Amino acid sequence: MADFVLPAQQSLIAGNKTPADVTRDICHSLEGRPTPLWWGGFLVAFSLLLLGGAAVTYEVATGIGTWGVNRTVGWAVGITCFVFWIGIGHAGTLISAILFLLRQRWRTSVNRSAEAMTIFAVMCAGVFPMIHLGRPWMAYWLFPYPNTRGSLWVNFRSPLVWDAFAIGTYFTISLVFWYLGLIPDLATVRDRLCCGFRHKLASLLSLGWNGSFRTWHRYESVYLMLAGLATPLVLSVHTIVSWDFATGIIPGWHATIFPPYFVAGAIFSGVAMVLTLVLVARKTMRLEDYITIRHIDVMCKLLLLTSGIVGIAYATEFFTALYSTGPFEEFAFLNRAFGPFGWSYGIMVSCNVLVPQLLWFRKVRSNLWMVFPISILINVGMWFERFVIIVTSLHRDFLPSSWTNYRPTPIEISMLLGSFGLFFTLFLLFCRLLPVVAMAEVKGVLHVGHERRVELPATPPSFPSVEELEAVGAGTARGGLG
Amino acid sequence: MAEGKTTKYWKSWKEGPGASPLVQISRDEFPEPLDRPAEQFSRRSFLKAVGFTAAVATAGAGCSHAPVEKAIPYLIQPEEIIPGVSYFYATTCGGCSAGCGVLAKNRDSRPIKLEGNSEHPISRGGLCAIGQASLLDLYDSHRLKEPRLDGKVASWEEVDREIIARLAEIRKSVGSVRFLSGTILSPTLNAQIKKFLGQFNDGRHIVYDALSSSAILDAHQETHGQRLLPHFRFDKADVIASFDADFLGTWISPVEFTRDYAAGRRLDTKPLRMSYHAQFESRLSVTGAKADRRVRVSPQELGESMVRLASRLARFAGAPFPLTVNDSASVQDAVLEDLAKKLWQARGRSLVVCGVQDVGLQVLANYMNELLENYGSTVDVARPSLQKGGNDRELQALLDELKGGKVAALFLYGVNPVYSLPHGPQFAEWIKQVPLAVSFADRLDETSAVARFVCPDHHALESWSDAEPVLGHISLFQPAIHPLGRTRAALESFAIWGGQPKTAYDAVRDYWRENIFPRIRGAADFQSFWDRSVEAGFAVVSADPPKTTKFRTTALRDVAKTTVASDKFSLVLYPKVAMLDGRHTENPWLQELPDPISKVTWDNYACFSPRAAQRLGLEEGDVVRVETDAQIGSSPALELPIFIQPGQHDQIIAVALGYGSKGTERFSDIGPKWLFARPDVGEDGRIGKNASPLLSFEDGTLQYIREGVSIRKTGKRHTLASTQTHQSLTLPGNVPLLGGKQREIVRETTLPVLVADAKSPSSEPSKANGLWPPDHPYTGHKWAMAIDLTACTGCSSCVVACQAENNISVVGKDEVVRHREMHWMRIDRYYSGQEDVDVVHHPMLCQQCDNAPCETVCPVLATVHSAEGLNQQIYNRCVGTRYCANNCPYKTRRFNWFNYMREDHLQNLALNPDVTVRSRGVMEKCTFCVQRIEAARIEARRHDKPIADGQIQTACQQSCPAQAIVFGDLNDPSSRVAKLAQDRRRFGVLEEFNFRPSVNYLALVRNREGAEEKGKESQNHG
Repeated sequence: MADFVLPAQQSLIAGNKTPADVTRDICHSLEGRPTPLWWGGFLVAFSLLLLGGAAVTYEVATGIGTWGVNRTVGWAVGITCFVFWIGIGHAGTLISAILFLLRQRWRTSVNRSAEAMTIFAVMCAGVFPMIHLGRPWMAYWLFPYPNTRGSLWVNFRSPLVWDAFAIGTYFTISLVFWYLGLIPDLATVRDRLCCGFRHKLASLLSLGWNGSFRTWHRYESVYLMLAGLATPLVLSVHTIVSWDFATGIIPGWHATIFPPYFVAGAIFSGVAMVLTLVLVARKTMRLEDYITIRHIDVMCKLLLLTSGIVGIAYATEFFTALYSTGPFEEFAFLNRAFGPFGWSYGIMVSCNVLVPQLLWFRKVRSNLWMVFPISILINVGMWFERFVIIVTSLHRDFLPSSWTNYRPTPIEISMLLGSFGLFFTLFLLFCRLLPVVAMAEVKGVLHVGHERRVELPATPPSFPSVEELEAVGAGTARGGLG
Repeated sequence: MAEGKTTKYWKSWKEGPGASPLVQISRDEFPEPLDRPAEQFSRRSFLKAVGFTAAVATAGAGCSHAPVEKAIPYLIQPEEIIPGVSYFYATTCGGCSAGCGVLAKNRDSRPIKLEGNSEHPISRGGLCAIGQASLLDLYDSHRLKEPRLDGKVASWEEVDREIIARLAEIRKSVGSVRFLSGTILSPTLNAQIKKFLGQFNDGRHIVYDALSSSAILDAHQETHGQRLLPHFRFDKADVIASFDADFLGTWISPVEFTRDYAAGRRLDTKPLRMSYHAQFESRLSVTGAKADRRVRVSPQELGESMVRLASRLARFAGAPFPLTVNDSASVQDAVLEDLAKKLWQARGRSLVVCGVQDVGLQVLANYMNELLENYGSTVDVARPSLQKGGNDRELQALLDELKGGKVAALFLYGVNPVYSLPHGPQFAEWIKQVPLAVSFADRLDETSAVARFVCPDHHALESWSDAEPVLGHISLFQPAIHPLGRTRAALESFAIWGGQPKTAYDAVRDYWRENIFPRIRGAADFQSFWDRSVEAGFAVVSADPPKTTKFRTTALRDVAKTTVASDKFSLVLYPKVAMLDGRHTENPWLQELPDPISKVTWDNYACFSPRAAQRLGLEEGDVVRVETDAQIGSSPALELPIFIQPGQHDQIIAVALGYGSKGTERFSDIGPKWLFARPDVGEDGRIGKNASPLLSFEDGTLQYIREGVSIRKTGKRHTLASTQTHQSLTLPGNVPLLGGKQREIVRETTLPVLVADAKSPSSEPSKANGLWPPDHPYTGHKWAMAIDLTACTGCSSCVVACQAENNISVVGKDEVVRHREMHWMRIDRYYSGQEDVDVVHHPMLCQQCDNAPCETVCPVLATVHSAEGLNQQIYNRCVGTRYCANNCPYKTRRFNWFNYMREDHLQNLALNPDVTVRSRGVMEKCTFCVQRIEAARIEARRHDKPIADGQIQTACQQSCPAQAIVFGDLNDPSSRVAKLAQDRRRFGVLEEFNFRPSVNYLALVRNREGAEEKGKESQNHG
């Protein structure tokens, strides 16, 4: 148990909440009837999901020909969506694992929804590699399972196999990590219900949690270990996704910069998506006290940082291409910016590099009517970044005789919308069925129980420096719970 | 098997004695074989039992799955039939009137592929795209299966009874009998027609070629006193001057000419030499694309250029030149002077050809050949060509007769005049008024639909016949399959109607016994001569040369001078390589074959030069009305999408013939059906538009050029299905820094540079070894290919050969628009230069890279490297990630986006049983015809011999008329391919990336001066 608390800690949750308040506030949304706003959102999301479902069914029944892809542009919206959703997922892992290890306690308010977002995003992402196959029913051939085909195995040299592993691992760890974090809260939910199916379900899922010191101790050890395990995934998954392109020989794909560039882009888009979701959840579920302007401010700064990295990556790509004097390489990038798909490159640069520059201003960061559209624009930009990388590199490659154009069909657009439908349907269901804020963790950052509370300093909140962290030591982070 | 005629094999109880009514119906599709000598037909008489009955029974039952059948093996194995073993029968191609020799590859009793007959004196191994595709016509379910009377199916007895009765009436009433046909190569049939017509007081045979060369024959009538078409010998010509003659593409006998032309440009001699070829033309043809010097002239300037060239040659020869020479024309004097000098220096080894339907110009061409002493060497009139016998003057006379209702009987053979004549609809009315109109067409085309009697002839692969493309070179047709329907050879029909029934086999054999056999020297007996001829597919016999007179200079006449108003165009109607006059318009392989120059499939269009299009403010795909002067105000104007064709003269519009026929309505459902599929046919339900109404008769010849045509925009748009969207190796101008730069994909050089280079010590850089040892040691064979770009003309016969060999699907226009054509072999076509473009044809197929980018990325190992250097594709392992296609730098991989149509069961008989038919969702590509490699390996192993060089020929190589493709074992230093890999001209595409492609290209060489001004300056035609 710590003898002191961080200066920043006290202001994380507004409104002088007691643990009981927290429980009541968070569980309130689970126990009441859904609001009309929720119903509205759910119906829209579910309609989109149905549309996408119909499109996928049709595509699987008829053939990939229902997409706009062709002999030269073999991948387009499908793989764009895949990379986009995988990227979205990364912020969840970053917030839940890396920020946890870095003792960024502001994460407690948003980590649950961020982790949920990760899982749903990976689910959305996982659909695409499957349905983009010519023969989706053979998708299991991508896994090296024992079979009766003699020595036939998968091709371990293919990045698509690495992908299958990376995504499988990522999904598993994210799910376990999320579920583990849910256990104390599920116990709270269980305890608030007296009987019925939901009670039984909550009892089952909370694995007999009894809140004892021993339970807490083991829980925290496991959580810490899983956080440690999940951390490399933040870097590895998108690195491997980037290899899908970087190991290819197509100019515009074949670049060593891809792994860091993709990881930064993933975090960038993921944080933007968390921000979008959290801003909505905050408003609709009246969680302003838990998700404060401070949280948003911190995330905006994270956006600014990753936007910078992404911007540098864009510039570096160009520099490398021009410096290489490889004619194909040079052409790929110049064509990207000035060719037939120049408009998508324009969207990408303006949304990902130019628009986030607004976040340098505190006024912008604190104005939610500014932050919300920015977060959406960043997601649009990041979707187009993947589109630009995939389509503009492919459509004009080596032999001019094979150059083509690409135009998505309504089926592809429906699938893109459908993936958003799936994501939001799951997220809205999550909001109704599970505590959107990690109650147990939030309780840990309340002033309650911290006897030597210090007043909020006048200086603006900031990240603790490394020295501060070292000074605080390992034992302080999750102390004072009970 | 002497009892073969009577033995009926049945495969199952239901099909044989216990036949159900349904099977009975299907069996009726195949009547009893006609009486034929058993020893000739026994080997095929098993056919009924083998496959077709089952197939048609299936079709008749209307179900899409094969019925469950009991298969009982043969009790007595039919002779020559071993399941899975292919036999080759030498026969002749019936695709056009060139008469190329083919070998029909028969497998399990049906032909599955046509290959060029390398010993045939005309084609010598090559076969064009049409020849390759004519196999599919055999299995066309739209072919007529039985005769028709008044539009209704009838029996032969009925039809014969009616016709014989009417003929008897005509004999009594002394009516005129007219036989209108295309050029008939068969001496037997010609003799029989002559005999048949001889029974009437007024019987005449009129030959009408929709693609007429009548003017050449007329010109020789004037200059040599004989109406003949000389046999042009391009192999003997060192200097070729061609005036609008597309001899490598569509003119007279392209396969033969390509072969000859390529022989003069082989570049394997020491010292290096190649023929010089100058082409004067208004539109860009395949031939013009190969020319060393191509001169763009308007049709009007063409005649002037010929006069000026002739005057110069006359000056060299010291002969008086009787014509007026107008030196104000646009073609530079220097160009003509240079050409005249070259021709003169190569006297006797030069050749002037002219493809214009103008007797005056043809006479001029003859005059030049005469001055150049080419008669007797490159222009052979002793053994003239019989490939075009059309006589437009007689045709015109026939039209007048028909108009006047003077014809009592009209026989139509191998022509579709209602479609292909300018006055088609009127012709239809005339036919209806003829009391006895008999068509031999094998489908219900525009003409046979109005003829009262339709007596369908066999397909060329079903019947006995012969062909004499060049005097004394007689080729034989032999059936490779029992007739699929109740069709009847025209030979037999005439025999029956003439009162002396005789089978086609007997007719041909008897004719040969009486007329051909005596012309062979030193032959012992007819039987052995006949057997030898059937085996070889041809016989070369002596022939009396036609009696020509001395050259009559008096025939020379001034060239009519016409000018075209600046706002008007000249319309040039031309045949496309795949479509010719439209006789194969119902062949999906040919419809989907990209035109070698425009790369457009499934349409015809109005070609404008870039400048003309710019002037009119037209963009590709805009629909325009092509309107002629009031002359034929009655006929509707032609509405066509425009296509921008670099290299074309600014004052002309070129429109392809052979489109928009009734038969193309069948293609409305050729493509995959899905929610957002667009129609595969035009608004009128057809493919393209018929341009024949714009043909005209002038001066006794059918004119393909029409002056004074105006253009009106319609505001409509029509998408053209082009397989190539970027037309040059020049990068697009809107990309900064690089715009206008050239990509070094194809290498080309000039002869002087090559000669200079050959003198210097080998400058070939030693192949640098990579950082790592090669992954693949290739201890046994290492298959590789060499493609000579100098020889390749872009004729695209390889594309169709590959399609036939490898069961490649046809996808339809909409899918081509979506860039999903399936051809494994394609011909990339690039332009360079600005106004007068140079053209490169670059055959592109899977390069079978040693370091193949596709292999590493496939997650399921569906594409792997063989120990012999092949990049194999395993269809049933493929899950369809398409990563391999993305990662292929040559973009030669093709994906099955849908389950493509395979519902025409009859057509499926053309499938090659050695090659898997791919289902949807899998990738496919060229594997150097691995099935042929394996077949050769099995043969070699059986004989315990190594595979000899040249024993394996890939389908593309086999078909190439120019012999541009060589395949073989790179590990065998004596193989041709290994030697070509050491050639100075060798290059690999994108070699700098270390993909190590197994296809070596030999640089394109043009016979022109220096490094040449062209090529470097560049413009984007994309």
